[in-house]
Order: sequence, then structure tokens, then C-alpha cells
Amino acid sequence: MKASMYLWWARFYSKGKVWILLSPALILVVFLFLGGLGFGIAESLNYMPIIGLNDPNFDAYRAIFSDKGFYKSLLLTLHVAITPTLLSVACALAFGLVLRQSFRGKKVFTFLFSFNLPIPHVVGAIGILFLFSQSGFFARIGHALGWMDMPAEFPIIVNDPWAIGIIIEYVWKETPFIGVIVLAILQSIGEDYEAVAQTLGANRWQRFRYVLLPLVLPGVLIVSVAVMAFFFGDFVIPAILGQTYPAVLAVEAVKDYTHYDLRNHPIGVAQALVIAAIGTVLVFLYMWLNRKFVRSDG
Amino acid sequence: MTHLVLNELSQTYSNTDKPALDRLNLDIKSGMLNALLGPSGCGKTTAMKMIAGILTPTSGDILFDGKSVLAIPAERRGAVMVFQNYLLFPYMSVGENVGFGLKMARMNKATIEKKVLEMLELVQLPGVQNRKPSQLSGGQQQRIALARALIVEPKVLLLDEPLSNLDAHLRDEMRELIRDIQRKMGITTVFVTHDQEEAVMLADKIALIFEGVLQQYDEPDVFYNQPGSLRAAKFFGGVNFLDGEYAANQMTTELGTFSAPRSSLDTGPGVLSIRPEDIEFGTTNDGDNTISARVNSHVYVGTYTKYKIDVNDFRFEVIAEANTKESFPDGSNVTIRFPADKIWILPKG
Repeated sequence: MKASMYLWWARFYSKGKVWILLSPALILVVFLFLGGLGFGIAESLNYMPIIGLNDPNFDAYRAIFSDKGFYKSLLLTLHVAITPTLLSVACALAFGLVLRQSFRGKKVFTFLFSFNLPIPHVVGAIGILFLFSQSGFFARIGHALGWMDMPAEFPIIVNDPWAIGIIIEYVWKETPFIGVIVLAILQSIGEDYEAVAQTLGANRWQRFRYVLLPLVLPGVLIVSVAVMAFFFGDFVIPAILGQTYPAVLAVEAVKDYTHYDLRNHPIGVAQALVIAAIGTVLVFLYMWLNRKFVRSDG
Repeated sequence: MTHLVLNELSQTYSNTDKPALDRLNLDIKSGMLNALLGPSGCGKTTAMKMIAGILTPTSGDILFDGKSVLAIPAERRGAVMVFQNYLLFPYMSVGENVGFGLKMARMNKATIEKKVLEMLELVQLPGVQNRKPSQLSGGQQQRIALARALIVEPKVLLLDEPLSNLDAHLRDEMRELIRDIQRKMGITTVFVTHDQEEAVMLADKIALIFEGVLQQYDEPDVFYNQPGSLRAAKFFGGVNFLDGEYAANQMTTELGTFSAPRSSLDTGPGVLSIRPEDIEFGTTNDGDNTISARVNSHVYVGTYTKYKIDVNDFRFEVIAEANTKESFPDGSNVTIRFPADKIWILPKG
């Protein structure tokens, strides 16, 4: 009996070893993520028995998609996600190309470039508020120097309709993050590919366009997808540096979810799910574009 | 067809005082295939990069057909380099790789496609233009790298260790291909290698470089028969050396006096050298330059047998063709003869 039990266990273990080893992580994912997602979907469908909503329906989604404000928020969110991603990638590439060279003071420059890596986003946001708001450091300096009659004449950079403050914070924080990866990729590529291209007649721009960029882009795109997905769903920075209306989708979702009237909960959750869905679509679109145009580019 | 001259070419890197390449002088005639030969770190790739223009010399000059090219950037110099690890652009097709140089020159698409097909024929790889480099073997990638260089019709072709990443069979094929194409196109070619056998089989002339200094620049056979130094002789497989005093075509050594009319010095202390395959041995002591010896050990290598022969405290290596010489067991007493016309006297040190 004991022997047959042992054999059964040995067979089960050898076949299901991977699942057994993965089970602690799987349990967390299934209960915390999928469980939460299930509750979220139920709530977004107006199913909240605790407040007497017992008949599931799509009212929350209808309310979202029929609200013009949602589309304004969506456009702003796309702008806040895509613009700083592109700017961060461009800045990171430029810094990476500079930092791979040997020059005097390179260590200091590298330190200055990457010193904000461990600083949290929220600290950066408060710093930008302190520096760029109309009652901030630069406004007061400008006023003290006589460049403007009142500090309030300082250009609106924070809590502005173009999300300049948010974009500055994101670019400031993410450029070194992408830059470190760009630098690692550039170092792994070495300089020989460019040397080959150069002896074959490629000028500086052609070497960048046809050699360096296609070699660096696949790696950069992967990290930039992650960055963009974060920007798309971020709440904290837009809440500090963004305007109140229209706000980005995440801020609108939190507003609804934390509304004193619990009947607004389904709209908040539905918005969060819409954010997740659009973010996922964007990531897949980005990866598809990467496969289609970047790797086969030449 | 470009006449390439390196004039006192030197390179000292910023992190060291010792030059990587010290006053290299070479005169490479148009259409010749030249080898830069030496051990790793001797400065041969440095020299090649300076010719290509991707490294600026510390001093000296590089002349193409009598004109200095130092002020001409690499992209307009016309010296194309093929690297040891091929460096095909992985995101491009084979055809795009081959046509890269023409695309950079903004040639029209139809001409590029036509020339790419011609080049693929030349390197004996027709029909692979739509594949990715990763779908090719190492030998095929090397051919594509060569085609990519040849398509721009370079003034000087530079090959960095072109055969070192290939297995023995592919190496033979590639060697013949390089030689054939180089002769057909008549491109002045310089290749770098650490393998003396490869240099001998491929090059019209060899520049032997040790520690950044040119040791000898000669035809391949000269390195075997009349090496310029003891170090050069050893690099080309020389193993039999005997110190002595040279005078009047005679070399006096601890093992006796040998007749030696071929010498790199007139008189004074020198080193008698003779290649393992040039030593004759048998059992009769009836000629000039003959001494008694004893077989220490031997190894049969198929086409030849390698003997280690002891004479007093000296040991010589002898190579005997398996089918022409009788076999001698270990411990047997023999005589060895150094034919006078095979001895070469080297300067000491």
C-alpha cells in the first residue's frame, strides 16, 4: 500500500512538478489579481448586492461612453502617455550616444544623468510644483529680477491644459531609466558595426539611421512599452501636476470610485477597466508595430 | 588597383607609453595580397584600422597611389574592412547586407539589386538574398561579408582574420575563394592573421610584426628558408637551433664544425638553424655535417613520422616522410646529417 502511494506521488510529482513549484505565485495571481478583476467586472456591471444593485447591466459603460468628458480625458491620457514616452526615448538615445564616448568628466556627467533613478516620482512631482508653479521658485526669481510684475505672470506650466508639468516630470524621471538600458545595449553592440558601415561609405547620419537605431530600437521599445503603460494608467503625478478638468482617465476613475455616493462606484471601476483594456491594446499595437517595422527595417 | 604605402606609421594609445605600432614601413604593390602576421596584441589589427581610417595614427602617413589619405575620412577613403566575426547587420536580409554600401552611395534600387545578384554569384551563394544572416552558416556569413565589401569596389580590401572562425574544411574553401576573387578583381588586399600557415598559403608577401615592430617583410618562402631572426624562425615552426661562432662559411658549435655557406651574418656569434624536414638521418656516418645521435622518441602522424633525436645534451626534431624513410625504434643509435645548403645562420639574440 505504502509502495503504491509512493509510486503515485512520484508520478504525480514528476508530471506536475512545474505546477507545484509555481503554485505559491499562481495562488497569489489567481486570488489577488483575477479575484479582484472578477469583483471589479461584477461591480462595473452594476452588481453590488451590498447596496441593493442585484441586476447586472451595462449602465456604467453606457454612462462612460456617452459622456463627452470621457473622450477629452482619453485624448489627454493618450497625450500624457505617448508624448513623454517619445521624448524620454529621444533624450535617452541622445544621452546614451554621448555617454558611450570617452571624454573628460564623463563620470560626473554619468552620475548627474542617473542620480534621480532612486528618487520616487512623487518627490519629482513636488519638486516640479515647487519650481514651476506660478507661486514657485522660478516665478519668484523672475519677479525678484523684475522680469514680471507679479509671480502669477509666470507661464502656466503646472496644472495646465497641455500637461506640460506632467510631461516634464515623466521625462525627467524616465529618461535616465531608458538611458541606462540604451547605454547597456550600446555597450553590448560595441563600435565595430559602425566601423563596418563607415568603411562601406556610411556617413554619421547614415550610421545612426541604418545601423545604430535598428540595433538599439528593439530593446528600447520593450522598455518604452512598459514606461508608456505606466504613464497611461498613472494616477499620482496627474493628480498633483494635472488640471482638474478634463483630468486623465485614472484621476477621473478615482474621483468616481471615491465619490460619497456609492452608486458612482460602478462608473469608477468601469473606467479603470476601460483604462486597462486600452492600455493592453496599446501595448499590443506597440509590439506589433515593433515587429512589423523595426526588426525588418533596413 | 592601388599602390599602398605605410610610412613610419605609429600608434600609441592614451593609456600607455608603449606604442601599439612603432614606425611601420610597408610598400604594397597594386593588386597584391599581403599578410600582416603576428601573435595577438602585436599591433596588426591596429595597423589595419588605421589604413581603413577608423583609427587615426599618432604619427606617420598612409599613401594610396602616392597621395596621403590621412585627411580623408573612412567613409570616403575606399578601404573596406571585413571583420573576423563578419558583423552582418542582423535585422537586414542578406541582399540588403550586400547592397548596403551602394545604398549609402544613394545608387538606384534596380542597380543595387542587379549588383547584389552578381556579387552573390561571385561568392558562390546565389539565391540567398532574401534570407536573414542568422539562417546562414559561419562560412556562408563570411562570404556574404566579403560580397558586401567587394560590391563597393574598394581601393584596398582589408580582411581581419578572415579564416580563423571557420573549421578546417571551410577554411580551405574560403582561402581558395579569397585568392580567386582577389586575383580576378585585382584589389590590393591586406589581411591580418596570427596563423603563419594561413599567411604562407594566401599571401604574396608577409609582414611579420612582433610587439608593434616590423620584423621582416618578405615572400612566404623566405620566412622558411632565410628567416631574419631567431624569433621569426621560431614563429615559422623552426625548432632546431645550435649556438656557435661563424666564420668563413663554417659554423663551429659544441657538436662540431658544420659547413654552412648560407648565412645572414658575415662573421661572429650566431645560431645555426635547420628545419626538421631538412635533417637527413640514417645509420652510416659517411658525409659532411654528420653526427652520431640516438632516437629519444617518435610519433607517427600518418603522412610523416616526427622523431626527437638526442645528441649529447642537445635535442633535435626530425620529420621523416612515412613512405620514404625507414623506421627507427626509440633508443636506436642513428646518424643525423645537416645538409650544408639547408643550414641557415641567424644572428644571435
